[in-house]
Amino acid sequence: MNWVTIIWSMTAAASLTLAGVHGFVWMRRKQQMASLMFCIMAAATAGMAGCELWTMKQMDMESYAHALQWYNLMRWIVTLALVGFIHFYLGSGRPWLEWTVCALRTLSLLVNFVFSPMVYYTSIEELVRIRFLGTEVTIVEGIPSPLSIIGQLSLLVLAAYLVDATWRSAQRRDKPGAVRVGLSAVFFVLALSIQMMFALWGFIDMPIVASLFFAGILVVMGIELSEDMLRSAKLAEDLKIRERELLAERKLTDAIFESAPGMLYLQSADGSMVRWNSQHERVTGYSNTETSQMRADDFCVEAEKEMLNQARNIALAQGGHDVEFDLARRDGRTSRHFFRMVPVEVAGEPHLVGIGIDISSQRALAAETERQREQMAHIARVASVSELSSSLAHEINQPLAIILSNAQAAQRIMAHENPDLNELREILEDIVSADIRAADVIKRLRSILRQGKPALETVSPNALFDEALSMAQPDLKSAGVQVSRRHSKKLPLIQADRIPIEQVLLNLIKNACEAMEDNGSREKTLSLTCVNEGAWLRFSVRDNGHGLSEDACKIFEAFHTTKPNGLGLGLTICQTIVRAHGGNLWSEQNKSHGATFHFQLPIVPENL
Amino acid sequence: MRCSETVFIVDDEPALLKALGRLLKAEGFAVQAFDSAMKFLSAPHNNGAGCVLLDQSMPSMSGLELQQRLLQEDSALAVIFITGNGDIPMSVRAIKAGAVDFLTKPIKDNELLTVIRTALEKSRTTLSARAEIKEWKQRHAELSAREKEVLLYVVKGLPNKHIAATLGVVEQTVKVHRGRVMSKMCVDSLAKLVLVAERLQLK
Repeated sequence: MNWVTIIWSMTAAASLTLAGVHGFVWMRRKQQMASLMFCIMAAATAGMAGCELWTMKQMDMESYAHALQWYNLMRWIVTLALVGFIHFYLGSGRPWLEWTVCALRTLSLLVNFVFSPMVYYTSIEELVRIRFLGTEVTIVEGIPSPLSIIGQLSLLVLAAYLVDATWRSAQRRDKPGAVRVGLSAVFFVLALSIQMMFALWGFIDMPIVASLFFAGILVVMGIELSEDMLRSAKLAEDLKIRERELLAERKLTDAIFESAPGMLYLQSADGSMVRWNSQHERVTGYSNTETSQMRADDFCVEAEKEMLNQARNIALAQGGHDVEFDLARRDGRTSRHFFRMVPVEVAGEPHLVGIGIDISSQRALAAETERQREQMAHIARVASVSELSSSLAHEINQPLAIILSNAQAAQRIMAHENPDLNELREILEDIVSADIRAADVIKRLRSILRQGKPALETVSPNALFDEALSMAQPDLKSAGVQVSRRHSKKLPLIQADRIPIEQVLLNLIKNACEAMEDNGSREKTLSLTCVNEGAWLRFSVRDNGHGLSEDACKIFEAFHTTKPNGLGLGLTICQTIVRAHGGNLWSEQNKSHGATFHFQLPIVPENL
Repeated sequence: MRCSETVFIVDDEPALLKALGRLLKAEGFAVQAFDSAMKFLSAPHNNGAGCVLLDQSMPSMSGLELQQRLLQEDSALAVIFITGNGDIPMSVRAIKAGAVDFLTKPIKDNELLTVIRTALEKSRTTLSARAEIKEWKQRHAELSAREKEVLLYVVKGLPNKHIAATLGVVEQTVKVHRGRVMSKMCVDSLAKLVLVAERLQLK
């Protein structure tokens, strides 16, 4: 055994091992063409090493040439495989350079076969045995052939191709080992070229050692590929960890889904159901299988589907939206739900994640509260009737008394021998007018007692004042109040429910009269004004009585009263009435004596 | 019906005034209607028996105030209140002040007529009682001082002997005085004399 045999055998063995390993890798993962190329290149390099060892041991020209032909075939495979490896591994080589390298190498191989036995020399003088690494090896001496330049050229173009591919790959920065692989390949190729040229032109006496250079390239490439494999393994490991994390995350979101107090779901942008919690199933009554085939608006009552779909679009476009609708259960029942929807991207597709909460009980509670409030207001109105309308009760009895007495007078007159027909006619006329009067009074009462929204009609503010004053006349007269009306006769018309507004005025006038009871020597004056304020008409009732007390802000509160027999509802009701008209009622302490109460009512638009 | 008996109606509601007037006239009453208390007071109204149908709630002067004025005038007119919405304290006050009744509108004719007849009866009684007292007062005034003295002792129930002793006269003199008192006062029994003395509130 000598060093040559040991080195070349080991090179071949190592190359074959690498070829085996990467061949196996390629078998497992067919899409890794770089591994296949590496495998081919390593196998061919092993072949090269074998051929080189073979040439070194030849004694006659013919068998040397035979070995050299095999060697050239291996060189061709190695070169093509190297180009292929760079092509697949770095993916950055210029195709025309690749083709040029392959063509030149192929040409070199063909030339080698045509000009048998040797392409490198025009004439071979002799086979020389030289000492190399402590043993005798065979080399050729002769005049180099100009055609051998093709082989040299192919090496240089290969070097250029490698430099270019390495440069472009380094620019892209996508393969960390690209520069190492590329530069080492360039280095070994250039070193090989120089060694070849020197050997060919006889500057040094050396056998062909190209396989060692290619083995060097193989080692660097092998290291890179191994590192790639290590990286893949690391990635796979990372992926496993990530998967476990994802699983934990999924479990967490599952728990969140389940822990939500209401329905929680994930829907795709087109409304199909993706994920939902058990609460969803429980509330809607649809099983998981049914739900998976349903769309978002299948859970909504027919009348609100359009609205829901619009809300979903808004949520998708504007980063979230809230909506309320009647949820349609499987059993046909419905319940009011509040939904908050937030857009989220799942697997690159827009989705909506949403939460739904049953608000039917809150709604019922709110409705009940509202009903109780209305009932309270109604009770307050009823209670105020006794307060406001003792005069009204009188007014009801009055026409009834007139009718009864007239009718009974008529009965008695008719019992006479010669009944006075004129008298009877007059009686009937009086009965009719008293009846109409009674009907009016009842209408007024009903209007005060009526619940709900005011029945608006177009009324003149002057008529309101006239009516209220005529109703308040007995009180004003008995209290000895001087009334002054200061407002234009040409006021615009307003939209109002006449009777309640008259009651408000009447109530304010009565309050004013009571406030002036203790005026003593100061003359009791009440002034009524009405001012056009553009969109509003402001009514004011001003007295010169004792004015407002300190807790003036409480006067509009229900059951707050300063009167010994008052219920404390008058002003509350007045305010309710005015607010129902879209207006407002407020009070003001006068600079001198007394107080002024104002309220506003909207003017009919066309009369602005 | 006696023409001197008038039913006065005072109510600020003209239509009711007219209706009640018709009803009462149809029953043959003499009716005078006034739409305010002041108008009624300024008209002659105190000439004989009669009654006033008085609306309790009227502007300027209420029914109760008018009733007080009539009492001050010592009127013999009986008062009947009519009201739209009378309450209990108000009716108690009215009845205490001598009102015959307190009617609530609307008033049924029979009820009204009964009350009016009662009221007229009361007014007549009042008038006749007053006339009687007036007569007795006159008769009493015609008695001499000694006779008035004797009268007082007699109605106190003292025997003639005691009266004589008290006055320092003989019993026979007392008997004479006593007989004169009986004839001047136009009474035929001691019991009647006692009653008259009580009516005249003699002491």
